[in-house]
Amino acid sequence: MKRPAVRTSAVFLTVAFLLSACTQTNPVGTNPTTAPSAAPGSSSAIPIGIALAQTSNVALLGQEGIAGAKIAEKYFNDKGGIDGTPIKLIVQDTGGEEAGAINAFQTLISQNKVVGIVGPTLSQQAFSADPIAERTKVPVIGASNTAKGIPEIGDYVARVSAPVSIVAPLSLKAALKLNPNIKKVAVFYAQNDAFSKSETEIFQQTVKDQKLDLVTVQKFQTSDTDFQTQTTNTINLKPDLVIISGLAADGGNLVRQLRELGYKGTIVGGNGFNTSNIFNVCKVLCDGVLVAQAYSPEYSSEVNAAFRTAYLNQYKKEPPQFSAQAFAAVQVYAEALKALNQKTKISTMPLPQLRTELNRQLLAGTYQTPLGEIGFTPVGDVKQKEFYVAQLKVDADGNNGKFALVK
Amino acid sequence: MSDFLNTYGSLIVSMVLGALLGLSLYLPLMTGQLSLASPGFYALGGYIAAILSTQVFRVSGGLFPIPLLLLEMLVAGIVSGILGVMVGIPALRLRGIYLAIATIAFVEVLRVLSLNLDITGGAVGIFGIPQPFQTPIEYLWIAFPLLIISMVLLYRLERIRAGRAFTAIREDELAAGAMGINPTYYKVLAFTLGAILAGIAGAVSAHFLNTWNARQGTFDASIVYLTSVLIGGTRTFVGPVLGGMVFTALPEILRGIADTSGLPTWLAGFLRDGRLIIFGFLIVVGTIFFPQGLVTPELFKRKMKNKA
Repeated sequence: MKRPAVRTSAVFLTVAFLLSACTQTNPVGTNPTTAPSAAPGSSSAIPIGIALAQTSNVALLGQEGIAGAKIAEKYFNDKGGIDGTPIKLIVQDTGGEEAGAINAFQTLISQNKVVGIVGPTLSQQAFSADPIAERTKVPVIGASNTAKGIPEIGDYVARVSAPVSIVAPLSLKAALKLNPNIKKVAVFYAQNDAFSKSETEIFQQTVKDQKLDLVTVQKFQTSDTDFQTQTTNTINLKPDLVIISGLAADGGNLVRQLRELGYKGTIVGGNGFNTSNIFNVCKVLCDGVLVAQAYSPEYSSEVNAAFRTAYLNQYKKEPPQFSAQAFAAVQVYAEALKALNQKTKISTMPLPQLRTELNRQLLAGTYQTPLGEIGFTPVGDVKQKEFYVAQLKVDADGNNGKFALVK
Repeated sequence: MSDFLNTYGSLIVSMVLGALLGLSLYLPLMTGQLSLASPGFYALGGYIAAILSTQVFRVSGGLFPIPLLLLEMLVAGIVSGILGVMVGIPALRLRGIYLAIATIAFVEVLRVLSLNLDITGGAVGIFGIPQPFQTPIEYLWIAFPLLIISMVLLYRLERIRAGRAFTAIREDELAAGAMGINPTYYKVLAFTLGAILAGIAGAVSAHFLNTWNARQGTFDASIVYLTSVLIGGTRTFVGPVLGGMVFTALPEILRGIADTSGLPTWLAGFLRDGRLIIFGFLIVVGTIFFPQGLVTPELFKRKMKNKA
């Protein structure tokens, strides 16, 4: 009878310890405001929050973003930071859930005392967490949120990721340029993915605007691996062009099955194809697929050359779009802080004022980023000059693939 | 203190909501029915609140009136209750693993419906849900009384005829039936009460999360809440409340520990990145050493005896 009691009390003790850990961390977090000299790294460096997914099924996207942001941190600190003061990224994991994003934002805002936040990974998480930042008046820059309505959440919400409505139609237009005889179009999209759902609506609208014949719309799930029904139905309708909005794994498999069943026409992929992971899925069969991009490693500018070299050195592959966008988001903060510091010393400003001023400053500027020159519309959406359409080029043995720019 | 509330306010509210969901799974378990339908009703309640607040009660500017929020909770509870009866009567003819599968299927049906209907916004879901409060912590004004009321009702329920009937069915359905208890009636009653509670919790959650989509209340969520109920304890209502709270808070507490100063970098890094590994490990340890859950009625009995 005694042992269970010991066990139970041991567990309660553990729980009590875990709970007390919550409170313990708190004074540490508040240190910078009360005793700036006592906490090294917080008074000397300017904290910028990164709220991206490091765990769950969206971690793949989040980690690409963190890689880009880390390169930006090093790049700008090597160039002297904010007039001698370095910036410091504080990364909090959002996971793939809405509640996780809210908790990460709360921790960054009240405990880590960041001046601004980059993130979260998914648009759905942004709808949940961005209002929190808006209410506490902390600037947020989305680096991978492309859904309609994100910058409209509030004055403090902006993004450097161009919305689908601008990027998606470009690849379709490129396909028409390459083959003007395209008439019949089939559309596929992943029904359970928020991004694919909004992207396909843009694609379908563009198809109608171009006076093309939309022969079929097929739905699938991002978890699907077998697309026999959808592909055979579609091939019977003899389309000249297939447009796919999906993620790399399902979209790549879909391309493979379309080709294996004998489809010869053009294929246009959505933004989900914008990762080198796609080559592992469909190998040589995805050769020739057209994808519109908000970033191209081949874009020639000083900052992109530096970014690309740093990325290649560290990860031994070309930087993906999400890394470039996260880099650009950190860059916007770094340059806006610099501009602000020249007007008034930011070290003298109280945190709430700094956040408000920073938000005003970052929306006003233009930035030479790896994405090309960007600025913001009054509501906070990105104004980007350069967009690209790339064609997937894969070696005959299917081992090496790259995105080749379509001029 | 205010800093603590700012940082962990939303977590505290999530913990209370987690406890409510734990209770909604516990209700069918009181009659020994392993039902995983709660997250489905949770999602349904959330959609009802999201649609009502963004399309029916349009409030321009300012905070969303709290009476309207209470009305939404009422509507969500009623609709979930009616659906609970409709699903409960046929589904509760199944037992054990078959009931679990049927309820998972029910959750999937709701998920696919919400992906395909226009009114639920497809995969993007519904966003821009108006806020009744300035800060997340103020949701406690709604969530905490709700939890207290549910706990008081469950405390009473465990001691009146209906609750005794639930326990009798859990221990031996045949014997209970032979004693004149109508098992179907009581099983559907418990199931429906759970559905109502989940629906109401969903309505609060939709406002709390600002957005609602088909990823809320999926099969994964069912498993997490079932785990929290099983580890918390299935023999008294305190177990699910404790389990729901601890399991909602655990990932965030581990994040907090990782930020404690003075820890070696590798340990802090492991606590931060390996949070979910530790989470899984604790679940395994919990099920091995506490097969009955952390909180068992014996725990209270022994305390009483010690005092006497």
